Amino acid sequence: MLDATPSTHSAREALRINPAKTCQPIGAMYAALGIHGCMPHSHGSQGCCAYHRSHLTRHHKEPVMATTSSFTEGASVFGGLANMTQALNNIFTIYNPEIVAVHTTCLSEVIGDDIPMMIRKAYDEKIIPEGKVVIHANTPSFVGSHITGFAGMVTSMVKHLPSRAGEKHGKVNIIPGFVDPSDMRELKRLAREMGVPAVMFPDTSDVLDLPQTGKYVMYPHGGVTLADMKTVSHSLGTIALGGFTSTPAALELESQYGVPATLLELPIGLGTTDLFIDALHKVGGVPVADSVAWERGRLLDVMTDMHQYFYGKRVAVAGDPDHVISLVQMLLELEMRPVYVITGSSAPRFEARVQQLLEGRVPEAVVKQNADLFDMHQWIKEAPVDLIVGNSYCKHIGRAENIPTVRFGFPILDRMGHRLFPTVGYMGAMRLIEKMLDAMLDKKDRECPEEFFELVQ
Amino acid sequence: MSDSEATATVDISPEELREEMLAIYPPKTKRKRQKQILVNDPDAIPEIAANTRTIPGIITQRGCTYAGCRGVVMGPIYDLLQIVHGPIGCGFYAWMSRRNLARPKPGLPNYMQYSMSTDMMEEQIVFGGEKKLRQAILEAYEIFKPKAIAILATCPVGLIGDDIHQVAREMKDKLGINVVAFSCEGYKGVSQSAGHHIANNEVFKNMIGLDDTPDQGEFTMNILGEYNIGGDAWEIDALLKKCGITLTATLSGDVNYSQVCRAHTAQLNTVMCHRSINYIAGMMEKKYGIPWFKVNFLGADSTAKSLRKIAQYFDNKGLTERVEAVIAEEQAKLKPVRDEVTARCKGKRAALFVGGSRAHHYQDLFADIGVEVVSAGYEFAHRDDYEGRHVLPTIKVDADSRNIEELHVEPDPARYNPRKTPEQMEALKSQGFTFEDYEGMMKQMKKRTLVIDDISHHEMEKLIEAYKPDIICSGIKDKFVVEKMGVPCKQLHSYDYSGPYAAFTGAANFYKEIDRMLNTGVWKLITPPWEKPS
Amino acid sequence: MRKVAIYGKGGIGKSTTTQNTVAGLAEMGRKVMVVGCDPKADSTRLLLGGLAQRSVLDTLREEGEDVDLSDVRSPGFAGSLCVESGGPEPGVGCAGRGIITSINLLEQLGAYNESENLDYVFYDVLGDVVCGGFAMPIRDGKAEEIYIVCSGEMMAMYAANNICKGILKFAESGKVRLGGLICNSRKVDNEKEMIAEFARRLGTQMIHFVPRDNDVQRAEINRKTVIEWDPACNQAGEYRSLAKAIEGNTMFVIPKPLAIPELESLLMEYGLFN
Repeated sequence: MLDATPSTHSAREALRINPAKTCQPIGAMYAALGIHGCMPHSHGSQGCCAYHRSHLTRHHKEPVMATTSSFTEGASVFGGLANMTQALNNIFTIYNPEIVAVHTTCLSEVIGDDIPMMIRKAYDEKIIPEGKVVIHANTPSFVGSHITGFAGMVTSMVKHLPSRAGEKHGKVNIIPGFVDPSDMRELKRLAREMGVPAVMFPDTSDVLDLPQTGKYVMYPHGGVTLADMKTVSHSLGTIALGGFTSTPAALELESQYGVPATLLELPIGLGTTDLFIDALHKVGGVPVADSVAWERGRLLDVMTDMHQYFYGKRVAVAGDPDHVISLVQMLLELEMRPVYVITGSSAPRFEARVQQLLEGRVPEAVVKQNADLFDMHQWIKEAPVDLIVGNSYCKHIGRAENIPTVRFGFPILDRMGHRLFPTVGYMGAMRLIEKMLDAMLDKKDRECPEEFFELVQ
Repeated sequence: MSDSEATATVDISPEELREEMLAIYPPKTKRKRQKQILVNDPDAIPEIAANTRTIPGIITQRGCTYAGCRGVVMGPIYDLLQIVHGPIGCGFYAWMSRRNLARPKPGLPNYMQYSMSTDMMEEQIVFGGEKKLRQAILEAYEIFKPKAIAILATCPVGLIGDDIHQVAREMKDKLGINVVAFSCEGYKGVSQSAGHHIANNEVFKNMIGLDDTPDQGEFTMNILGEYNIGGDAWEIDALLKKCGITLTATLSGDVNYSQVCRAHTAQLNTVMCHRSINYIAGMMEKKYGIPWFKVNFLGADSTAKSLRKIAQYFDNKGLTERVEAVIAEEQAKLKPVRDEVTARCKGKRAALFVGGSRAHHYQDLFADIGVEVVSAGYEFAHRDDYEGRHVLPTIKVDADSRNIEELHVEPDPARYNPRKTPEQMEALKSQGFTFEDYEGMMKQMKKRTLVIDDISHHEMEKLIEAYKPDIICSGIKDKFVVEKMGVPCKQLHSYDYSGPYAAFTGAANFYKEIDRMLNTGVWKLITPPWEKPS
Repeated sequence: MRKVAIYGKGGIGKSTTTQNTVAGLAEMGRKVMVVGCDPKADSTRLLLGGLAQRSVLDTLREEGEDVDLSDVRSPGFAGSLCVESGGPEPGVGCAGRGIITSINLLEQLGAYNESENLDYVFYDVLGDVVCGGFAMPIRDGKAEEIYIVCSGEMMAMYAANNICKGILKFAESGKVRLGGLICNSRKVDNEKEMIAEFARRLGTQMIHFVPRDNDVQRAEINRKTVIEWDPACNQAGEYRSLAKAIEGNTMFVIPKPLAIPELESLLMEYGLFN
């Protein structure tokens, strides 16, 4: 397994090996799926759309619908206007969505296609039927990562969909970040538990975690509705979870409509969830519900009960910047030692934040943005860890080095739990703790001398 | 889906269904799609439009040229270090996402577990990416010391005009190893198919023929267009070994670079996936004198037929006897499971929409167990894959196909060596033996079945509603759409992480898997008790 | 803020005309930013007294994403502000994408913010609109009025007509309009009348006829605009008139490009083929 990887780390300038990121459009496509009645549209070569749909499907095990402008060489030379126009005509005629959310690809970005002009033309020519909406986000694959694309599409939602007309209402906006439908469902549950009426966008719960009913619906009942999006400009406030994925949209709402933004990190682990609950309490003007406080207590109880198994354990973490920043905090709460902390995205702020968190606590830690799994593997070879936490691509390192590996983040292609159970909130933290503990104890049970193979732990 | 629905008879004619599929389309889209949806007649095969542009805005199964080149043909060559030149996504998505398994020979690396890319950023787009590519190749060489390197282009590379072939030449001189560039930008063609052709050309020009060391073994052959999905190639290899036939190279499934370079030493080329690799077969015939014919190791009866044809080609009594013995033995072993599954599956109905050969090949496996195919179509095949190779001269070369280089191949002055004398060839042909043969899918499909090229999501929905097939074979993007409709869906790209399905041993796996899918009770749990009629 | 783009065939004198016009506007007290959209990065040389402005793309390449507006924008003659987009060496990369990148960056850095109090931004765009990137300056929200520099030479008129086709596409669905033709004289027979007629048929106007004058070359050798080099010379007056004409211009149209036979007959009529 990964036998060609040399055991000492060497720096590379040009060659990316085993990336810990992918490109913008998939993030934009995922965000768009969190709008009710939305058809994501990929403006470029059809391979991009095929790849993104395939990977989202492998992660969610659900239908993932999206259309493409299917560029051939001609469109690349002459521009994609004709393809876009024909695509919009087909999409509205055949698939009849409420809204089409266009994102670009490296191809259409290099040739410089002017998307707003194309969309305006389609409105003028009545290709977009009355009452239907088309929004867009520029998502060049050679800038940023899938995280950038997600943030871009969420910002585009805020730029295009809210209305100035209307009055203040008592709802709170929640921008959940690039998390799973199960996580979005959990965040909504927490808001409900607290008695805070919330509008979440994007919201892929009930879109990408559908029940089996024997019936297929192209636009399932989930997703933020256009009607709700219209009024997010008049909410009490916005709670944005994740500096890389949600902050840009929250700030746009604040500057355009004066909706005050509360900028938080993803609620993964105790402390970051506390801040989320505190924000619901303050922004929503409600007391913290007992049931939520009890959840917190149960989480803390698990942390104290099982502390000995976590204390001092060395962990390698790879993932998206918002996820990793919060996970590191959770690992530190358990007094584990995140010694290798990487993200594949180019995110200088990530390094600064994680270093700040680890300062004085894990002096040996290596923290790197714009890194890849090959880096991480070589560091692990140099000085091993007790646990790896990251997406499915980490499992090869885990097997090569015989290290328990817990799947976390995007994408998870070989397990099913993430579809159903969250990692956010107190409940999510309990689940992550259980997974980490199981992974480490399973290894111990498999490998320890028989006399130490104990019934009780 | 309830039992009564599952066995509902088709009460809509294929012509009506076709009209129903087309009804919603805008005029231009309809004009195009109606040429790609046909009611079959094996005795007077109608002309189908295939390998034409995908219509923008249609939810298609198709991918791009890069996917066909990098993912399909090149990906499985496990010790060829492959660097994707472009933004990160293309390298990322083609990383271990196909199920072309490999078991590297001792001492050889397995680069399939690695994704290498130049991770092109805006700076390279604006100022050119050649410098970063050169540096990436040097770093890859420094770390891995590979025998050979492939560079694969993605969309922006062609647009900004990076000369990857020049970089390949420079690096080849500098490093003293083979470095080959593939101009397989995603937009180059209408589907993956263009990428297969580009890969075929470069492999033929720059790899095949580099090493003249032949395999030991009385009977040597290649299988072209077998990708070892789920271990298929291993089943075929084991079967051929049993008969006394040595496989020189499987292009491209569990294959190493040196096997590719020696492929021209084999005595015979057999072709599994005609679509993706007939180009190499044709060019090897011209350059080296290796005849080729089509085989199919999917389905017990097809496997037997293919083995017999191979034996007939080698024209050796001992081999023929061994082949007959092996067939008898394997068929006998298979019979109980085949009979058992047939008893439970006979008369069920399947539809297959996948790939450029799979939608045809798997019909043979279904035929083995009495499952009827009501509709089928390819994702990226050409007219010859539907109608048979005899239509080749009549296929119009359009702007998109012209994009792909047609290599002009001459007999190799030193190595052209016809494996059969003209007299032997004539003798075989007079016995009805065919070379360079592929009859296509439609000839084998029943009259009034529905043939649909590049099926769209909408058409798939209509088909399921109207025909209520018992099983659909497709790919990952359709899988859960189909299953949400209560119909089991078998992925034929990944086999849903089961398999292998090839040869006799694989056939048993397939029968059992289809039996499970067709006869499982889980679909019957959909209706809760409170919704059941009392 | 008025947003102006200057297009025209390569070598026609776009950069010279732009900079001299900007000098005229700046002298009138207008606050003008010039964005050179040419990979050669030589659109602001005269305003900067021969100094080379470090281009946006070079700065991005060398300093990463932490760029300040002052890193890429320098003050030039009479308070004008100069930016060069820059781009790759000839024959590599994608110059068009470079323009998109640098205009996006300028927007991010707030170069167009109201607080900048700009009266004008001028885009000086290389040659023809060869690809999407070169149309960036006329996309929605960017340049709204376009002037095409041309002369009585056939190829210059042909190019001007082509550029009109480009504008047409963006004008039909956006705010961009053609403000007029600037005739940069090559001393072709009947040039003034011909361009005036050409402009009329395009549905626009010849906003100014700039006569040929060697003072332009003299000023350029001294790395100055004519207005700075010799404010009293005739040619300086011509550029002031052009600046005033643009300042007072109210004629903004969607152009009607000519069919080639029509363009040729125009040339015939005005004696080029005599």
